[in-house]
Amino acid sequence: MNQYTVLGRIGEGAHGYVMKGVNKFTGTEVALKKLIIKNLDEGIPVNVMREIASLQVLNSDYIVKLLNIIPHGMGFVLVMEYLPSSLYDVLRDTDNPLNEAQIKCYMKMLLFGVKYMHENHIMHRDLKPANLLIAQDGTLKIADFGLARIYVKNEPNRQYSHQVATRWYRAPELLYGSHNYTTAVDMWAVGCIMSELYNKTPLFPGETDIEQLAIVLHTLGTPNEESWPGLAKLPDYNKITFSYSSGLSWNAIVPDIADESLDLIKNFLLYNHCKRLNAREALNHAYFFIKPLACSLTEMLKPDSIKPCEMPKFEEFDLI
Amino acid sequence: MFPNSTQCKYWMFTSEDELNKLRENANTKHIQMYGRHVNDAHKFDIFLTPDEERLMVRKYELNLRDFCKKFQPPMLRCVVGTAFHYFKRFYIHNSVMNYHPKEIMVTCVFLACKVEEFNVSMTQFLTNIKGDREKASDIILNNELLLMQQLSFHLAIHNPFRPVEGLLIDIKTRCTLNDPERLRPGTEHFLERALLTDAILLYAPSQVALAAVLHAASKLQENLDSYVTDTLFGVEGRGKLEELIEAVRSIRSMVKMADSVIDKNQLKLLEKKLEKCRNPENNPDSEIYKQRMQAMLYDDDEVYSQISSDHQNRDNSALNMSITSPGA
Repeated sequence: MNQYTVLGRIGEGAHGYVMKGVNKFTGTEVALKKLIIKNLDEGIPVNVMREIASLQVLNSDYIVKLLNIIPHGMGFVLVMEYLPSSLYDVLRDTDNPLNEAQIKCYMKMLLFGVKYMHENHIMHRDLKPANLLIAQDGTLKIADFGLARIYVKNEPNRQYSHQVATRWYRAPELLYGSHNYTTAVDMWAVGCIMSELYNKTPLFPGETDIEQLAIVLHTLGTPNEESWPGLAKLPDYNKITFSYSSGLSWNAIVPDIADESLDLIKNFLLYNHCKRLNAREALNHAYFFIKPLACSLTEMLKPDSIKPCEMPKFEEFDLI
Repeated sequence: MFPNSTQCKYWMFTSEDELNKLRENANTKHIQMYGRHVNDAHKFDIFLTPDEERLMVRKYELNLRDFCKKFQPPMLRCVVGTAFHYFKRFYIHNSVMNYHPKEIMVTCVFLACKVEEFNVSMTQFLTNIKGDREKASDIILNNELLLMQQLSFHLAIHNPFRPVEGLLIDIKTRCTLNDPERLRPGTEHFLERALLTDAILLYAPSQVALAAVLHAASKLQENLDSYVTDTLFGVEGRGKLEELIEAVRSIRSMVKMADSVIDKNQLKLLEKKLEKCRNPENNPDSEIYKQRMQAMLYDDDEVYSQISSDHQNRDNSALNMSITSPGA
């Protein structure tokens, strides 16, 4: 720890707090994620193991880098690349509205990161604007791998300790309690994020898990075996029914955007996860090949010009 | 992908000699540290020799295997494989006299369960342990961080089980062998023994997997040579073929050695010797250990409260930073 000077606290997570620090020898700014072991009965939390194990194998410009791990007292400190801003700030900064080329550039960087991650057999499971950080040069990087899983296999549901923060971006199969979902849950989240980039407001802002499902179903229409094969077999499907909805028109869901943009969003927000586009397919979508094209990094917002914003109350209560 | 894994970068060694030198080094360092008062000529009357240490490690590897076999709920193979990797890595740089292999062994299994997402609670885990469960739980929790540190936090393990599946699929599609599923029992038996050897520290998981499949084939009087040379490697892979044949040969001979039996009486004597010479600082039954654990708990509280109060002062100061990531 002596290698770093602590400058102050920048965040609070499920298992500790995050501080900003600077490497005394190189002057590099870092984020120091200190782990506090609160549940002494089970030892070091699985989430922390996941984050370490995934970040050690991921080496991409679009994924936050784990620089070092330092033992500290009964726990340890993760030393990460310091990224001053997040897409959450960008979206809420009304002084700097994004143009089409900038939105495309964010989508491209996001999809590159997701593609790389999925190619390495890692699903993130918690993609949301607050987890997409912005580096000094404007690059978007995926962060917070606390829910990331290395191998694609059956998933017992009990690991979701802080689903609160992620609810708006949760795929419908998760809302119905699915245990064997795939990397397509990340693609649903990408669709929600893309809509938010255009609408400037979350697409499905549910206050509770039930309301979340109600909003999704109301917006996209009541699913059936045709639009969602296997729906009736999902664990929580029979526990609740919602009134019938034929769905809103897409022009009302994401108004005033080009046909190609809408087509891409539609193909992320499909009930049938097998049909959802994967990151590689999405990068080949016409959206990225029609004008305006994605701009270059030099035209992207830099953290210094992004107005930081306070989190809404409920997101601050990261339940443990 | 194995080539960019921490396993490939940091935990692959060139030869058994290299491994044994590192282990000897751990033994020498331990004796230098704790045996200053002992005459050099008599040091091994008290302390374990490097060979004796290796025997103890081997004994507890067999225990590890049996513990995992009996574990309830039944354990996934990758948990067993990962626990073996952890255990072996730990004793490359540490002496069994410093950290007792029985304690490290259960900690390795506990950590492997978490990393491989084999979700068992501590209570469930402890039902698999005979004797004082509260003590066992303390030992595991006190050693968990130490183990992670000694592994340099390299937690992700590539086991040979997945490459085996890949090879079997490939054999089914590109090889004329009749009913390739017949290879499975022999392959699994081979891999179980391979975990008891240094092979997994010297060869890539795919090489160990290939050795296992080829071994299983030869037990069934089948020959996969032309599949390996013509189909698997083909023209582009020719240059690598010789290296691979040598690797397979060497893995198979190491696994053959895994069957050697150890003398039970000798083990009993070694256990006694270890009980006498183990480092009391890391012995959960010793007073000095209990005091140290107390101190660490206290120390951490102190550090934490110190840092938190620093924050209070800093938070509203000139830093003017907001929370950027609520889930961080």
